[in-house]
Amino acid sequence: MDELAIRAEGLGKRYRIAAPGAWHDSLRDALTDAVATFGRRSGRAREFWALRDASFEVRRGESVGIIGLNGAGKSTLLKVLSQIVTPTTGAATVTGRLGALLEVGTGFHQELTGRENAFLYGSILGMSRAEVSRKFDQIVDFAEIEEFIDTPVKRYSSGMYVRLAFAVAAHLDPDILLLDEVLAVGDFSFQNKCLNFARSLEARGATTLFVSHNMFSIKTLCPRVIYLRRGQIAFDGPTEEGLRLYEADQPLQAPAWFQQQEDAPIEFTAVELLGMDGAPRSMFDFGERMRVRIAYRARRSVRRPNFMVAVTRADNVLCCNFSTMTDGVEIASVEGAGVVEMTTPPLRLTSDSYVTTVLVRENRFDAILQAQFGGRFQVRHPLFERVGFGVYHEPADWRVDPAGALETRIRA
Amino acid sequence: MSAIESGLQATSAGLRPRTSGQVTHIRPSRGLFDLGLPSIWRYRGLLATLVKRDVLVLYRQAALGAAWAVIQPVLSVAIFTFIFGRVAKLPTTGGAPYPVFAFAAVLPWTYFSECVRRGALGLVTEAELIRKVYFPRLLIPLSAAIAPLVDLAIGCVVLLAVMLLYGVAPTWRLLALPPLALVAGLLGLSVALWLGPINVRFRDVKHTLPFMLQIWMYASPVVYAFSMIPDRWKPLYALNPMVGVIEGFRWAVLGAGRPDLGAMAIGTGVFLALLGGGLVFFRRMERSFADLI
Repeated sequence: MDELAIRAEGLGKRYRIAAPGAWHDSLRDALTDAVATFGRRSGRAREFWALRDASFEVRRGESVGIIGLNGAGKSTLLKVLSQIVTPTTGAATVTGRLGALLEVGTGFHQELTGRENAFLYGSILGMSRAEVSRKFDQIVDFAEIEEFIDTPVKRYSSGMYVRLAFAVAAHLDPDILLLDEVLAVGDFSFQNKCLNFARSLEARGATTLFVSHNMFSIKTLCPRVIYLRRGQIAFDGPTEEGLRLYEADQPLQAPAWFQQQEDAPIEFTAVELLGMDGAPRSMFDFGERMRVRIAYRARRSVRRPNFMVAVTRADNVLCCNFSTMTDGVEIASVEGAGVVEMTTPPLRLTSDSYVTTVLVRENRFDAILQAQFGGRFQVRHPLFERVGFGVYHEPADWRVDPAGALETRIRA
Repeated sequence: MSAIESGLQATSAGLRPRTSGQVTHIRPSRGLFDLGLPSIWRYRGLLATLVKRDVLVLYRQAALGAAWAVIQPVLSVAIFTFIFGRVAKLPTTGGAPYPVFAFAAVLPWTYFSECVRRGALGLVTEAELIRKVYFPRLLIPLSAAIAPLVDLAIGCVVLLAVMLLYGVAPTWRLLALPPLALVAGLLGLSVALWLGPINVRFRDVKHTLPFMLQIWMYASPVVYAFSMIPDRWKPLYALNPMVGVIEGFRWAVLGAGRPDLGAMAIGTGVFLALLGGGLVFFRRMERSFADLI
């Protein structure tokens, strides 16, 4: 049983990042640049290791989650293993038929019908024509697009498009499957379908490497994780431990949707979650208040800044968003270092794990100048949990009238 | 082994993690002459699908559909006939009617230039695919050389009609057309093998290509006869490998003239060098496509 599916030794991928202007998209630029730098080294390109010295082994039938922040090298690793890019150093041996799903629907052609695209996409993923023919009915069934199968996909809704693409991919049936964040698309019911698909693969004994930002699906699918930090393997082992390390690294990071600027006009130097006594806390009882202290430094004068604190549940549901502006706090401008402190109303969130994100916008609701994770906290309550109680719980006013007098009064 | 034991093995085989036994080695460097041709064979299904897609897509949105395969060469020949046949009164091989003379050259030329154009630009057109999926990149220029064969086949039927219209009798020499078309396709492929990777790096190719092909056409005996070239320039002229292909087409269609064996030998040499060098060059550059596109 300990036969290897993947064995990687010292895999590395180096990219040369060109300094602004050093990238030639036309021959003319290349020529002028060659003349200008003739006789001396250009030195404008910067080297960058997207993946460095990655060695690991994956046994057959194993499910391994690959976690890490954006740009940590997760996708590069999958691209190297699927032969899309060539490694700069190291070597890897892959035993078995490998299927890589780095993006759902790559290669779909708008002018072709659903049927034609199913065959096209199937062969792009490595299936033979006969194989697609054999599984065709199942694919159409899975995608739930029977009546539109002979319609050009340019007339499809985005949901239908993704469903068809995923249906084809789901019938690929490889020995080793590389999945990159593909389960993150589509609506909730579709995501569930994808999750079930990934589980069924595991049941069939396929080896899976699964990149995701969704820690929930990593936890359910993979007993083992590889945690990449700046291109290097920071941890390789049991999921629980890996996730703990990953989460511990999080507070300093910007959220994935925010494009961090090199020299942002304002930055957060520290964000602390405190109890009402002013001591740092990460566990709050239901109904307690939480204090968020934000230390900032503004490089230039920021006019009418709007500080915001968003609270997001572990499964990425935005629960609430506090803002100085909506709460009627007007700040004329800030410059240099300073502190903003906010105290929440009594926490009515159900028992779960939450992340705070602090943001600042300029001029009330203009561009977001800075955004950063502000730390994690748990809310504790013996009864009010996400399952069954939803996002928050507030006591309501009830009237109980067993005799039915209330109903009569309403009618009257 | 008892029956029970083998039965047990069969059940456990169903549960055991599967493997197809296919082993892939991933490493940074590869031999210069490792052309990876076996993997092309393994991906022949995808090649067939890509070709089919290109053919389907080409005519799906055009109102006149496949009629374009007829209209395009007929229009070019009509224009050439007017300008070079009527106005300039260029002599034809063996005094053949100018339309047939031109048609026999326009067909292989159009096919060749389509192979070059689609093959050279295809890598960038398929950028999304190259960034997200692995397959031998050679499939792209290869499918670009196969898909226009449909146009060529339709064109050949039209050619036959034009021949009959102008009273040129078909002979057994027409059997030479398929191998000549193969050479034209391989030649187009070899040029694409050079231009494709360059286009990935420098998008200038896209802008230069139309001029390059036009100049190349006038440097080939498409509108005039090979015999019009002065003898002392012929060896130089024959460096253009399309000369042999087009003259071959004319020989097969008109039944007149004799292929210049010396010119063909020179052309074949250039052609083989282009193809061999192109394959090595393409394989060498292929490794960085996904990084550069």
